Amino acid sequence: MKKNQTKAWLFLAPTVILSTLFLIWPILRAFVMSFQSGSLINLSWTGFSNYKYIFSDPEFWSSMSHTILYAVVTVPIGLAISVMLAWMIFSKVKHKSFWETTFFMPYVTSTIAIGIVFRYIFNGDYGILNFVLKFFHLPTANWLDDPSMSMITVIIFGIWTSLAFNIVILMGALRNIDPNFYTIAEMYGASSNEKFWRITMPQLVPTLAFLLTMDVISAFKVYTSIYALFNGQAGVGNSASVAVFYIYNKFQMVGTPGVAMAATVILFLLILLTTFLQRKLMKKIGEN
Amino acid sequence: MKKLHVGTLVAYIILTIFAIITIFPFIYMILGGLMSFQETTAIPPTIIPKHFQWGNYAKVFKQAPFARYFLNTFIVASVTTIVSLLNSLLGAFAMVNLEFKGKKILQMVMLSLLMVPGEAIIFTNYNTIARLGLLNTYLGLVLPFLTSIFYMYYLQSYFGSISKTIYKASMIDGASDWNYIWKILVPMSKGGLFTVGLLSFISSWNSFLWPLLVTNEDTMRLLNNGLSSFASDAGAETELQLAAATLTVLPILILYFIFRKQIIQGVVRNDLKG
Repeated sequence: MKKNQTKAWLFLAPTVILSTLFLIWPILRAFVMSFQSGSLINLSWTGFSNYKYIFSDPEFWSSMSHTILYAVVTVPIGLAISVMLAWMIFSKVKHKSFWETTFFMPYVTSTIAIGIVFRYIFNGDYGILNFVLKFFHLPTANWLDDPSMSMITVIIFGIWTSLAFNIVILMGALRNIDPNFYTIAEMYGASSNEKFWRITMPQLVPTLAFLLTMDVISAFKVYTSIYALFNGQAGVGNSASVAVFYIYNKFQMVGTPGVAMAATVILFLLILLTTFLQRKLMKKIGEN
Repeated sequence: MKKLHVGTLVAYIILTIFAIITIFPFIYMILGGLMSFQETTAIPPTIIPKHFQWGNYAKVFKQAPFARYFLNTFIVASVTTIVSLLNSLLGAFAMVNLEFKGKKILQMVMLSLLMVPGEAIIFTNYNTIARLGLLNTYLGLVLPFLTSIFYMYYLQSYFGSISKTIYKASMIDGASDWNYIWKILVPMSKGGLFTVGLLSFISSWNSFLWPLLVTNEDTMRLLNNGLSSFASDAGAETELQLAAATLTVLPILILYFIFRKQIIQGVVRNDLKG
């Protein structure tokens, strides 16, 4: 018996209405606006000119290349460190929940507030980081005021921020691995290293693929941490401008919403592509 | 046996180093907020201030309306959390317990909407809010976030584990859907609802880009926006910036330490479902 309980729509109404207004409509609108020019109240159709504009805008390319550089460096390093730490917490030490609680702290705290602390730590003159580096006779740097250092500073902060989520998700996955695998491996005299590479890693592959995608997507959207590190700027001389900065600038500061939306569409497609690749990857893993 | 001990020792050392790297900024923030100006710029850097400068906090409250920011943030985070929880709860109930035409399509649409990054729609949403004349209002701050497809999904998996026979039995007993939701569904999934509420409150408390766009009056600012503009205005007064940062982070940290289990489990469950 197939019922049609129309009252369901009553329960769904708030979600459907709000999602249409603030999720579906804005996507469609962004697509449309990317083909329009003029100010927000006076838009007119211009075809592909916004896309032509951004593709020949060096500022757009530098923002995109910073974004991609950030993703390509931050994500693998962050993941590698997270796997190491999660595995150590899981297999080597006591008080696992203490470690987990510690490492998860950055996830719940405001990026702006922590960014202010990092700005202080990174300070070229009296920051504690340079002091520690000097103490160990390592080269110091002008982390915040030297344009060639900006992206490195952003990446370090990005890695620091990304560990929390990765570790907690990896811990969840490690707990789900059948403990019998390890018991049997131990019976055959497997070393800790062998257990890690032969049992743990293969079992972690789906989780790693998931985290890789999530991390890449959130790297594409990086904004707040840069805003906080450089006090509202995109680094000295825009040396750390990323995609969202570019969009914000074109939308709010320059007042060319069409250009901003064209860049948004590109960013959106990049994220969609990443999600699509993840789905494919997961499917392939599932088949093996 | 000996090799194992070395491995454990190395693990403790590495974990401790990374734990210090993780926690140090928080401790330094709290301590730095209690330093004098001289101490914040001293070389070698001060770690523990000689005298705790509690007066820094008084200065922060004097220089910027942080009390107002707190109130605004609290109102916005609470309203967002309660209303979005209610809306996703009702939606999830319908998706789990009711049969209707278009359910499959709706589920598919919702699933694909989950992939839409907030940053891609935030500017067009700003435009909508501006046209509705809701800039610098509480309604404008919360409106796009009054429901969450993400949390609706989360709750669906929660409600799905409550047997449908319970629903049918209560219908036979003459209960209404409304009764079922409040007398059975909500009490039975208290844990899940609570976790979703916590996560929603935290992310709302930490939101930055949206309130930055839709407010420009100082009285309507939220904590993080107030904090970042305070950090630019306070200029070189690092100790005041750090005190203000502490004010922003501390409530959430306290919440986190009390409910760390629920929060961590909630995040793990949430995201592996996606």
